Amino acid sequence: MNGPMDTILSLALLSILFSFASSRLPGLIKVLAFQGVVVSIVPLFAGHHLSIGSLVFTLTTLVIRGFAIPLCIYMVIKKVSIAREVEPIVGYHASILAGLLLIVGATWAGHRFDLPVNTNSQLLPPTAISLLGAGMFLLMARRNAIAMVLGYIMMENGIYLVGTTFSMRALHIVEFGILLDVLAGVMIMAVMLQNIKQTFDDVDTARLRTLKE
Amino acid sequence: MIESILLWTLAIVSAPFFAAVILRVKAFFGGRKGSPLLIHYYTLAKLFKKGSVYSTSTTLIFKLGPLVSLGTAITALLFFPMAGRPPVVSFSGDAIFVFYLLGLGRFFTIAAAMDTASPFEGMGAAREAYFPIICEASMFMVSILFYRLTGELSLSAFFSGNQPAQFWSTAGSPMIFVIIALFIILLTENARVPVDDPATHLELTMIHEVMVLDHSGPDFGLIELGAFSKLFLYSAFIARLICPFDFVHPALDVALFAAAVLLVYIAVGLVESVMARYRMDRVPKFVLTSFALVFFAAVITLEFAK
Amino acid sequence: MVEIIFVIPLLTGVLAFFLPRNIGRSLLVITGAIHLILSGIIWAGKPEPIFPEYFAITPEGMLSLIVISLLFFLISIYTTSYLNISNIRSESVFTGSMLLFLSTMTMVTLSDHIMVMWIAIEATTLASAPLIYTHRSAVSLEATWKYVLICSVGIAMALLGSVLITVAMDMGNVNAPLSFSALSGIARHLDPLWLKTGFVFILVGYGTKMGLAPMHTWLPDAHSEAPSPASALLSGVLLNCAYLGIFKTNKIMHAAGLSDFSGPILMIFGLASIMAAATFILKQTEYKRLLAYSSIENMGIIAFGTGIGGLAAYGAMICLIHHSLIKSSLFLTSGNILMGFGSQLIEQTGNLANRMPRTFIALFSGFAGISGFPPFGIFIGELFILFGAFKAGHYVGATLFMLSLCVIFAGFANNIMKISFNPSEATIRIPESAALIWPQYILLGTSVLLCFWMPETLVQTVLLAVTTVGGGF
Repeated sequence: MNGPMDTILSLALLSILFSFASSRLPGLIKVLAFQGVVVSIVPLFAGHHLSIGSLVFTLTTLVIRGFAIPLCIYMVIKKVSIAREVEPIVGYHASILAGLLLIVGATWAGHRFDLPVNTNSQLLPPTAISLLGAGMFLLMARRNAIAMVLGYIMMENGIYLVGTTFSMRALHIVEFGILLDVLAGVMIMAVMLQNIKQTFDDVDTARLRTLKE
Repeated sequence: MIESILLWTLAIVSAPFFAAVILRVKAFFGGRKGSPLLIHYYTLAKLFKKGSVYSTSTTLIFKLGPLVSLGTAITALLFFPMAGRPPVVSFSGDAIFVFYLLGLGRFFTIAAAMDTASPFEGMGAAREAYFPIICEASMFMVSILFYRLTGELSLSAFFSGNQPAQFWSTAGSPMIFVIIALFIILLTENARVPVDDPATHLELTMIHEVMVLDHSGPDFGLIELGAFSKLFLYSAFIARLICPFDFVHPALDVALFAAAVLLVYIAVGLVESVMARYRMDRVPKFVLTSFALVFFAAVITLEFAK
Repeated sequence: MVEIIFVIPLLTGVLAFFLPRNIGRSLLVITGAIHLILSGIIWAGKPEPIFPEYFAITPEGMLSLIVISLLFFLISIYTTSYLNISNIRSESVFTGSMLLFLSTMTMVTLSDHIMVMWIAIEATTLASAPLIYTHRSAVSLEATWKYVLICSVGIAMALLGSVLITVAMDMGNVNAPLSFSALSGIARHLDPLWLKTGFVFILVGYGTKMGLAPMHTWLPDAHSEAPSPASALLSGVLLNCAYLGIFKTNKIMHAAGLSDFSGPILMIFGLASIMAAATFILKQTEYKRLLAYSSIENMGIIAFGTGIGGLAAYGAMICLIHHSLIKSSLFLTSGNILMGFGSQLIEQTGNLANRMPRTFIALFSGFAGISGFPPFGIFIGELFILFGAFKAGHYVGATLFMLSLCVIFAGFANNIMKISFNPSEATIRIPESAALIWPQYILLGTSVLLCFWMPETLVQTVLLAVTTVGGGF
């Protein structure tokens, strides 16, 4: 547990708990930015052979995930000056406990799978699973539209972790796809957020409740 | 054995001194000269010279409260390996015994506060009963973690010799989370900022201070001394973890240990200087953070201890 | 040179954003016609793709392609009249997005590489989001938000599934291109555990896009809020594209000998969708939502049939084709009703049989077709699925299937009767011009025609497609 990889991954896990406890959007965005940085640098320590291409790719991801996207969302918040509360459906205490259970569950599940590569860290599968689960949790347990977008980004972080470290050969098209996904998703959601703000004067998704059964 | 008893006595005697360090740090940040480092000794001496006043509505419980809280605190210190040297008493499972000793002390403080039938003290008692429940959960999580790492369940096994250093080598970075969690527990259990403000003068917002409003003279002195000892115990936990070195030479060890304890107290003073007290409803989240941290540390550490 | 078929709409789509209204409309029809011709050429000649590692012509792709072409051409004709009548503020965005949507969907049908397939399906989401938001109202915004958010999450799941398949390749020490056709060939060398996990994620991911319950919640909103031509495309073609992703992954599973695992999962999702549709269809108050739930039902039927395999898989393929034809005609018809009565509520409509007789014929025969009555093709498809289910011994599944179909028919019939024969005082706002009627008639006619006479090449292609997932007679 003293390798750099484990430390990085445990920081990523810790960021999940902090994101569950954050009640304010700026705080949540900062946690996500931190998580983006941490997750992006994992491939550097994964023990794969690093070519110049993948190094450049990793750095680009770092900039996009760690700085560009959080900054973009932060600007949206500033611009539309929306409520800063994340409006939880599940309370913060329950969220933290759920996060802990999630990590335990992910640790348990992570051992069921053999990895094709020797990743020099046992924390990798649990972290990836936790990130995915935590993203889903934020999507479901927060009513604020931006918090939901952040949950989506967290899920993408998990997928990035799976895509870049589980597989032996760095399939560039896979990495490209992941980057494209998060970029496109965030962009279109940012545009949507602006429209929601204009139409409803708020980004609480509780307002988006007219269409239902 | 004699060395252990000496160290134990020294710990109790020096506890008020360390507590004064916190005041000094706060004074420094407030730009004041601050009270002398021996202030608490003067206060204690003054209190013991006074007589006690008892309300006619109180019973024996009220008088027992201070005695038990001091007694449990200094008994708990008996089990702690000061500076990594062997403790005065130790048996397998004493870690749990110590937690429950402290719980007993808290129970009597609460009972004494309720005994006065003052609404303020009842309010304080309710809070005092609520927040440490979560603390207890994290404390037990810490012991589970340490138990899994050492295979034993006693404070001497956890903190004596070079065991703290071994924690670092087996568990690694999650130990940082354990330390942060322990620090949060320290702040909560000892009613420090940001959970409770010992300097506040508004009963509505107090936790610990409001419970001892009716104690006076020697009784209050006993409570103060008990509080200092308890704070020392928690600081000693952290001190052993942040400074896990073992030089075998007693004098060096003691000096280093004292320096580490001093560091913890300074940290408490720093926190008190830069933070404000939390609103009551935000305290549980703060305390829960400690539980989350240590639980998290336990999960990922046990992953590697397999 | 296969790629040209999706490059052309891509270019015209981008162009349409900058063109004035009239040219944009004709561009829509012209591109539709070119697309139809090109897919005819592909059927006739089977040309080679320029990037064989990314694109390939597969039987299931060809089936979807010809359906897309036909539908888009007819819908584009309808759209020109539709745009004349309805008041759409940013028409260039609408036509441009329609063309980009066509391009991305065509790309889905042709893609063979797992990641290209995924990128194409992601692109369909991006291209269709502006279509749903065309009306710029609060509800359409809500529908778009749901659509984008839920589908993005779903697509992210599918991405994870695709990544896990590469892990399965690594585990099995397989060195092959990451394409469906290559992987089907060497599927037995893939690591089964990772492959199964990957399949589940892809099924959930693309299943979200396809409208399988319980991930279907975006579908009724999106389909009811989009303008009718866009709804017709969404329901008739987009769902097929998502199904294609599942179908191709299922192909790998079948080749790996894991159809015992994938089949029941598909059946469960399928039955869940049929039953969810049966539950919700009874109390619908809007006719477009009614049609949307019927889409969920049909996607459930198709997944159910594919999961059973054998005769049922053949039936599922038939259902897929006919559902596209009939459902898109129904959505176009619903556009007429909406324009005629000016309301989406069933209550506000009525007496369609006398007020809009030609629309009534399209609606009623479409209703008969979608409910599985002969002479429409879905009848044959559902019959095959039932035969297949009984033959494979899935008695409980088959019973639930039939019961749900009855409930859905009841709910559907009730509402269609209201629209058709209830008294109504409303004044009809539009004339029933030929362009607003004939596309539906042609679609329904095609379905009837294919029910009685299927060209030999079509039968062969369907058989070729379904044998890869263990289907056939």
